[in-house]
Amino acid sequence: MAENHGTTSGESTAVVKSLNISDGASSDLRSPPADLPLRQAFHPAPQPTFRDITEKFIRACSALDTGQLVKDEYFTLFESIGALEIMDPKMDSGFLQPGETLEDAYDTLAPLLPEEVIGIMDQLLSYEMAWHRGYPLSQTLFTSVYIDKLLWPEPKTFEQAQFYRDGPPDNKRPGVLLEVLRAYCLALIKCCDFVNAKVTSRDYYEEEDFCTHTYNRVLFVGTPVDVFSRELDAAVERMEDTDLEMNLALQEALIARLNFRKDFLVALDFHSPIERLDKSWPPIFSNLISLNATHQLGKSVPGAFSTKLQRRLASTVPPRPIVELDFADAFQTLKQLCLDCEEATHFTRLEPDPLEYQSFLWAYASRNPTPLPYSRSYLATLLFHPTTLNATTSIPLADLRTLVLPASPLLDPTNWTLSPPRNLMLPKPPRLQLALYIDEFIERSGQPYLEFWTALGQNRCRLRRMLGHVIISWDQLQNDAGIVDEDIHATLEEMGTQVQDQVLAYPLTSWTYAKKLTMLEKMILLGFEQDIYLPDEYAGQYFFLSTVSSRRRDLLSNILAHLQYRHRCLLSCVEPDLPKAAEVEESIGYLQTLHAGATGIWSLSTALFHFYTLLMYLRLLPIPNRPFSSETLRYELRMKPFLTLQPPEVLPFEEFRERVRPFGDYVAPDAGFWKEVADGGSGGRLWKEIDACVRDAKEAFASVKKAGAKKARAGGVERDWGREVQGVLASCVALGVGAAGVKGALKEVGGGKAGGKRKAEGGMRLGLELGVKVEIPGIGTGKRYAEGWVVGKVVKG
Amino acid sequence: MDNSEASFYLSQLIGKNLRLHTTDKRIFGGQMKCTDKDRNIILALTYEYRAPSEAEICRTVEAPGEMSAPVSWSSRYVGLVVVPGAHVTRIELEESVFGKSDVAL
Repeated sequence: MAENHGTTSGESTAVVKSLNISDGASSDLRSPPADLPLRQAFHPAPQPTFRDITEKFIRACSALDTGQLVKDEYFTLFESIGALEIMDPKMDSGFLQPGETLEDAYDTLAPLLPEEVIGIMDQLLSYEMAWHRGYPLSQTLFTSVYIDKLLWPEPKTFEQAQFYRDGPPDNKRPGVLLEVLRAYCLALIKCCDFVNAKVTSRDYYEEEDFCTHTYNRVLFVGTPVDVFSRELDAAVERMEDTDLEMNLALQEALIARLNFRKDFLVALDFHSPIERLDKSWPPIFSNLISLNATHQLGKSVPGAFSTKLQRRLASTVPPRPIVELDFADAFQTLKQLCLDCEEATHFTRLEPDPLEYQSFLWAYASRNPTPLPYSRSYLATLLFHPTTLNATTSIPLADLRTLVLPASPLLDPTNWTLSPPRNLMLPKPPRLQLALYIDEFIERSGQPYLEFWTALGQNRCRLRRMLGHVIISWDQLQNDAGIVDEDIHATLEEMGTQVQDQVLAYPLTSWTYAKKLTMLEKMILLGFEQDIYLPDEYAGQYFFLSTVSSRRRDLLSNILAHLQYRHRCLLSCVEPDLPKAAEVEESIGYLQTLHAGATGIWSLSTALFHFYTLLMYLRLLPIPNRPFSSETLRYELRMKPFLTLQPPEVLPFEEFRERVRPFGDYVAPDAGFWKEVADGGSGGRLWKEIDACVRDAKEAFASVKKAGAKKARAGGVERDWGREVQGVLASCVALGVGAAGVKGALKEVGGGKAGGKRKAEGGMRLGLELGVKVEIPGIGTGKRYAEGWVVGKVVKG
Repeated sequence: MDNSEASFYLSQLIGKNLRLHTTDKRIFGGQMKCTDKDRNIILALTYEYRAPSEAEICRTVEAPGEMSAPVSWSSRYVGLVVVPGAHVTRIELEESVFGKSDVAL
């Protein structure tokens, strides 16, 4: 490169010299040749030439055998399937029916009635919402002739974005209403630009969540928002002009639409400062009402939208029909969008505590209907905003402190103030060493922590799937935590028993494990919520849930015991350290709630596990016929996401089978089962356990409820939190009722003789004889008290 | 032309830029990937070119101003396409100006 450079400048010097010789007079005035690289003049790219090979090509082709292909060796059949067939009306978006023209006959400068403008605006809004719900622009907004005119050919200046190009035809200067429509369309396009910018700035899945494709159209990316606001203001002024002869209602309807668009544009503004966000949504709601009320004034203009426009979009897909979304639906979507975004702005008012953030994220992800991709990106932008992430205490550290290390010498801020010895060969002071260990771990945990938050920002189905991956990365983190814990333990030992006493054994592992188990529980519950499991799997999955939650409960009671000991120590020493004691007390409050929650989950899942086991034996649940798979393989498949975890290790199939089939085969149960159901189940061990567990669960959840959202670190979403706890409590009650219903039915058919007879028949018809049915409440029907807790309803019949 | 000669000739065209004219007066320019006996041709990285409509030509001609006003062809990217042999009216091979194409014609 350098050599090249040298020769070029050398050449240019030579040229100047030769000029000097020919023009001696002016040579003195010439400045000495600067040593600059030669600038190449612009040469237009040489035009390729084209040779007609039609005749020879045809001859060659006809010499080929039938079925013989001449192809690029890397070109596969699989790829060729994706090719669009030209001249096939279903595939080729550029295909014209005989007599059809490419250009649309619709005249965008033709005067419109005010009713028609309202109709077009409302139709545009419907398409905008359809886009928000996941359809591509080509099937929604880009079918509008008006929007097409504004965007194509690409305007070089903002003024060029008109419904005409190259100057207005003299006699057809657009009227006031067209100017109003133009302002509305321009702002609408800018809204789309903001939405695209927001969605693409966060984690999303193209086409699955949202289509950001703009088909080579530029949505005024470079034009600032105030230009559009000004256009809208000018349009409102024109509408308010008293000279305008127009029905007052229509006039107001148009003004409401313009005002709505203006507020919406401001609210969507990508660059809006974070402090102003919560003020930008409320103004929209006032306009929404009149928007909906005046919709019937509009008159639709079907000609203003056309699928033909897809022919001019850069598109590698076949032509697709326009997506029709009812205005009522679209309006509902819009309202939901605004409500969800407004709710998301509450995030900025939360206390800076990662546990509060997490509760907020759970509550937001559980919203029904599920928030649209835009709303989720909106919240994610706030969550991953520098002001949130760059808190004074790093986020995982704050979490760690609350859960396992409140007021601990391990996290004493002075640890970080010590300097290392000048001589690197000397050992570092132990407290500094501790600080370094913690730093190392916190840095390591940053990635898994953010992964967890990212998963929480997805929709529910993907949240469940992503949790599977997040759990694995937390499993690895737990491994690493073990190593750091060993180091910490060694250093603490050096510092003496007094300090060692103040720190929980294996603090980092405990923290990671507790977090991981929580995620596991949530993942299993999400499986129930999304009907991943069939009724005959319920017993097994609730059993798995109960094993996970029992581990969490034990772990939490361990931590809790240590913290209570710490609390006592802090208060009982000669000079009680009250601020530290208060910090520990706060953590104790949080842990007590967690512990009660874990106990509740354990009790309720155990009760459901036994309940569904008995229902299976009573033949009250359908057992599907699965001739092509074995139970072992099904179990392996179901447990696949968790197989690599240690702990908690997934039970081997034989053990699992023993637990979920305590009485042997469902069709031919052993004597233990007949004892269980004898006398209406009054003497049954499992029935007793169900009752006890339901009672325990109720008690546990009641104590969670009593402690309140603040203690559970869900103060920002108190209402949602309360509803959730209430739902679980109701599920406990429903399970009690269900169990009593089955027992009642058992009692009715009971009696020595009948029992003996059934025994002989192997219990084949037991479900029919009981005279009851179990109805499993479906998802989204509102019949489940808590979506993750499926409690079968026992009905007569 | 016998079969082996034909296969040789056509395989030279693989990966070359072709322009296909279709019965509806569109032109497709792209890289040839595959062909068969029925002259169906698969092009990759294709652009579609369409002549301006008659109405547009009339408008430009009638418009006051310069004597020779250009009317532009519209083009757009369409990606991977297969053009059925029955609709191909003309096939052109793009030749680079930098030296002769290496296709033996």
